[in-house]
Amino acid sequence: MPSSQAIVASSAIGHADRRWIFEGLGLTLVVIALALIFTWINPRFATATNLINILTQASYYIVIAIGMTFVITSAGIDLSVGSLLALITVVGFELIKEGLHPALGVALMFAMGGLIGAFTGSLIAFVKIPPFIATLGMMAVLRGLALVHSAGNMHYGLPPSLTWIGQGSLAGAPVPVVIALLFALFGAWLFNHTRFGLHVRAIGGNREAARLAGVRVNLVEVLVYTMMGLTTALGGLIMIARIDSTQATIGTAMEIHVISAVIIGGTSLFGGRGTIYGTVLGAILLSMMTNALVIAGVDFFWQLVVMGVIVLLAVAISNLRERRISVLAFLLRRPGGAAASQGGV
Amino acid sequence: MEASGVPPDAPPLLSIVGLSKSYGGLRAVDNVTLEIRRAEVLAVVGDNGAGKSTLVKALAGAQPPDEGEVRIDGKVVELRTPRDAEAAGIGCLHQGLGLVDALDVPENVFLGREPQIRVLGLIPQLDHRTMRERTIELLDRFGIHLPRLNDPVSRLSGGQRQTVAISRLLLQDVRVVIMDEPMAALGVAEGHRVLDLVRSMRQQGITVLVISHNLEHVFQLADRIAVMKNGRLIGVVATAETTREAIVRMITFGQTH
Repeated sequence: MPSSQAIVASSAIGHADRRWIFEGLGLTLVVIALALIFTWINPRFATATNLINILTQASYYIVIAIGMTFVITSAGIDLSVGSLLALITVVGFELIKEGLHPALGVALMFAMGGLIGAFTGSLIAFVKIPPFIATLGMMAVLRGLALVHSAGNMHYGLPPSLTWIGQGSLAGAPVPVVIALLFALFGAWLFNHTRFGLHVRAIGGNREAARLAGVRVNLVEVLVYTMMGLTTALGGLIMIARIDSTQATIGTAMEIHVISAVIIGGTSLFGGRGTIYGTVLGAILLSMMTNALVIAGVDFFWQLVVMGVIVLLAVAISNLRERRISVLAFLLRRPGGAAASQGGV
Repeated sequence: MEASGVPPDAPPLLSIVGLSKSYGGLRAVDNVTLEIRRAEVLAVVGDNGAGKSTLVKALAGAQPPDEGEVRIDGKVVELRTPRDAEAAGIGCLHQGLGLVDALDVPENVFLGREPQIRVLGLIPQLDHRTMRERTIELLDRFGIHLPRLNDPVSRLSGGQRQTVAISRLLLQDVRVVIMDEPMAALGVAEGHRVLDLVRSMRQQGITVLVISHNLEHVFQLADRIAVMKNGRLIGVVATAETTREAIVRMITFGQTH
């Protein structure tokens, strides 16, 4: 039946709602158009090496931004991702350098990410500290701990088994890109097809209604931030494996990048609605921008300015989006569409 | 409006006996005794502060009473939490409807009670197909056809949203549905759809308890009308045997004739 096919097809993209398909398509076109413009400005942009470089660079942002998509959809925010990434990587890196088995070191990094995330989530769910404040505090605490642990020290020289995660290739594709792609598929499934994903969208949409319906809102909230910590650990692992180094200041301003990717992707800052596909595109778009700025010789500080402007634009657009999309959906409404979408099940 | 078809001497489905509830010194509900029959639509009317909401909250398990008891089919039920009320077969349709705007229709109907299937016999995943099919079944019971189940419910009309909220209740096999000002924010056409909805609930043997300010709606809807004033039950009259003027007199002066 046509509609069940449509459901399957759309669920791969995001929520099974035409609106998201429109938005996903729109964003895809924007990414393609930007790529064409950058290439027109500087043909070096479109070389295979550079495109692979962009995707590889996007990979850890994609992973962390997927965690952030769950957080923002739950009507939360996490400003502490960059600091958490710094703390996890300096501690993990040093222990591995001191002889801890790499597998144990990686396990420890995930454990740290998960536990610290759960702690942050508990501050929000049980102590009732608003997410913005709780994670602002954690941002300072975790960055401080990272600096205490290894102030000014640059760690480098990971074993090959770990650098493979950041630099190796699988069937011709860079390992980070493969990991990001698989994780995005997992994230989209978790978001749209599991009870957890539904409950995250429910508490973000209407916490009180979710509670009355029997959703364990506090538990879900703690799990959301736990997942955020775990994805930060995964993203951090890919990042340090790629550059084979880390230091206490790594991941500075990362929250801006990650939150921008999520908002540009179309996830509502007010909670309840999100899209994993959009987040992936948002992260790729930002990596393209950064890359184009680097090629153009714009320095890091100006890149930060551009990034900030993009965030503000993205939020402004997302505020306007609701109206625009309803108009679009209305214009594209087919008289027979109703029957077709109902008949197929 | 057709007769309800329930014999007047049928045993009550729900009995409220000597129910009282005070807030500080204010006796919000004062020794109310009321019997509600199976498949009847009973409207509770009264001025602001008459005690309607407090009475209904006691039934919904939202605010346990200080004194008195509630019986269903003659058996005393403890209604201390919304879960208790749900277990006793009492469902409450709040003014806010308790829907999550961002979720679609089946997700709202099943939220908190989602069926799951196991992928590869192992990994639990939402059973979207069952959720969708059962939602369509529930809506069909009311002859209601929502064009796009996959849309967020924020895009539905007020009456359609109400249908979704009632479908949620029916999923739990409720026997009594409490509706708090169901037509407060609806237009005329939407209001008529809610009237139809209430009638079809009654046809399916569901007892409906409606709180309303709007006497016009009450007269179109209810089999009997219970009037409250200052926390006390002034009287219960059959809609067919009374007039609007008589009800207004009861509401304002507390007179039963």
